[in-house]
Amino acid sequence: MSSVSSTIRRAGRICLPHAILIVFSASILLPLIWLARVALTDKLTAYKIPPEWAPLHFDNFIEIFVNYNFAGYFVNSMVAAIGSTIIALPIATAMAYAFARHNTGGATLRLFILASQMLPPVILVLPMYSLFLTAHLLNSWSGLIIAHLAINIPFLAWMLVAFFQGEIEQLEQAARIDGASRFQAFILVAVPVAAPGLLAAGLLAFILSWNEFLFALILTGKSTNTLPVGLAGFQSQRGVDIALLSAATIVAIIPVMVLLPFMRRYLIKGISLGALK
Amino acid sequence: MRRLLFSAAICAMCVTGAQADTIHVLMENVPDTRYVQDLLPEFKAQTGIDVEIESISYIDMHSKLAPQLSSPEGGYDLIVVDFYWVAEFTQAGWLMPLDDLIKKDNVDTSVYLPTLMNLVGKVGDTTYMLPFYNYSMGIIYRKDMLNDPKEQEAFKAKYGIELKIPTTWDEYKKQVEFFSRDTDGDGKVDFYGTVNQGQRGDCISMQWSNYLYGNGGQYHDANWKATFDGEAGVKAIEDFKADIAKHGPTGAESFCFDEAANVFGQGKAFSFVTFNILLAGFDDPKSSQVVGKAGIAANPGGGLNGGWGWAIPNSSPNKEAAWTFIKWIEAKDAVRKRTMAGGAPTQAWAFEDPEIVAKRPEMGQLAILVATAQEFPTFTYTVDFVESLGRELNLAVTGQKDPKEALARAAEDFNKLVVKAGLQK
Repeated sequence: MSSVSSTIRRAGRICLPHAILIVFSASILLPLIWLARVALTDKLTAYKIPPEWAPLHFDNFIEIFVNYNFAGYFVNSMVAAIGSTIIALPIATAMAYAFARHNTGGATLRLFILASQMLPPVILVLPMYSLFLTAHLLNSWSGLIIAHLAINIPFLAWMLVAFFQGEIEQLEQAARIDGASRFQAFILVAVPVAAPGLLAAGLLAFILSWNEFLFALILTGKSTNTLPVGLAGFQSQRGVDIALLSAATIVAIIPVMVLLPFMRRYLIKGISLGALK
Repeated sequence: MRRLLFSAAICAMCVTGAQADTIHVLMENVPDTRYVQDLLPEFKAQTGIDVEIESISYIDMHSKLAPQLSSPEGGYDLIVVDFYWVAEFTQAGWLMPLDDLIKKDNVDTSVYLPTLMNLVGKVGDTTYMLPFYNYSMGIIYRKDMLNDPKEQEAFKAKYGIELKIPTTWDEYKKQVEFFSRDTDGDGKVDFYGTVNQGQRGDCISMQWSNYLYGNGGQYHDANWKATFDGEAGVKAIEDFKADIAKHGPTGAESFCFDEAANVFGQGKAFSFVTFNILLAGFDDPKSSQVVGKAGIAANPGGGLNGGWGWAIPNSSPNKEAAWTFIKWIEAKDAVRKRTMAGGAPTQAWAFEDPEIVAKRPEMGQLAILVATAQEFPTFTYTVDFVESLGRELNLAVTGQKDPKEALARAAEDFNKLVVKAGLQK
């Protein structure tokens, strides 16, 4: 009797966590599976209740590249996300290092940087539009990258401060005793130790820029529209073109899905490294 | 050398695109825009002017336009303006008056339907736009069912009147009731007489307006004092509520036109009070199960008028080329081609043109629909009014508020807003 109850308890111990995990995983995965299913069918089938499993096809994917400029949107998003991340990361790293090591600007400057993140983007976009108009930066890749830098640099600087605090400082001091200059200690010791954090922060900055909508909508034009702006175009006064929208959404999430397995190790390590400090 | 290359690369990245022979146009991503795009090679061949159309979603257009229009020089030479924004844009001084150009080039604006010229053409005595396409509302219905002799016989036996395109609101209500059916015998209606869109805001406000007009109501009197909170308004809410509860699908309280259109497109409803431009979608086998079965009729009492107009912003860098394009795209030949492709015309002759009617027999009904359409109150604070009206209507049709109280609150808001706009004395 006791062996039966212990078997039940053991089974419960094994099954319950799995059941909970399955429910949580399903809540994340099912919308994605449904998205893929709608992307591979047409609008008529997509909305049928009860659902109908018609033959799947790739017509929507073909259409978004043939009839819509999704290749262009993809390139524009890629340029803006990679460009702004590559430029923002070293600037924000230096800023974060200055905050962590030298308390540059004190609490006031840090508060200003945090405050810039708390402002609704719509407050920033109108003055930015006027500035870009004067500087002839509207509807240009460089303008879009600069706009995304305004979001990414404060975000990254704030996030990276934690990575330069704690044991890294002692390692730097050891390097200084061994004859390294301040700059060498920063480049050769602090940055390599904080590398997982930098990569994690870089990935988050890439995603932030990749998904950014408002600046891209207001500051870009036909030749520089990004994927989020292109996706929004499927909602019109004649309804939502749900099958094309789903196909375009799949295309939009591909880069992040491709990047994630490679970056997962660094992302978890980096975020937990920052969190522990 | 490195610096030179760097500067060249930066310059190459800055695509400002302000060439003299190219005009930049902002439009909504709808089929009527595609019909215009299809004609661009012809325009280029005739004038040598390139047209770059940027088409985006409706909900993003206003956000995109506002900074462009308020700047001394914007990025668009030409825009299309929804009737919602006409008062706001003209009062802000963002649009260029076209009267001098019309006079100089002898453009005949009498070809436009007066209802549309008033809606998206003239403001007072000044012409700011030329009407581009209409999206006036009417009743999209199942013509195969309406014309079925068995249905006609059964309808006559039940109500004592003919089953035909309705000319009174009461006749339409009877049809909605007649076609609401329990097809599988489970005691629940599963084929709907109509589909409502009860979602707060624009969705319910637009559709309910047709119920208001159908019941003989109007939004305001000559002094802009609210009248929609009268008997007709209350009846309109009661009809709307009954249609949702008895004759429509579950969840219609939170539908917008996309969800409602899908119910009709799946062949589960007899009718749908909506924008006439949705009709073409029901003939597309990719999105509809009722291909060839949908017809259109004017709303008894008039439907809600809607339309877009071509306008040249004051911030346009290339006004002359923009005007050349407006003249060309609104000329008879281009209008005929756009309408033949499925566009929604604004010029009276297009509804009677033999070539167009041969391809699109619904043009006769569309002509009545557009000519009898009623205007939604358009003033500086239209968007605020729609928000208030939509909220109150939704509360009333979902039973959270008494219809009279809901309308009284919306009317109070309306009166305050029109006073603020300087319209009500």
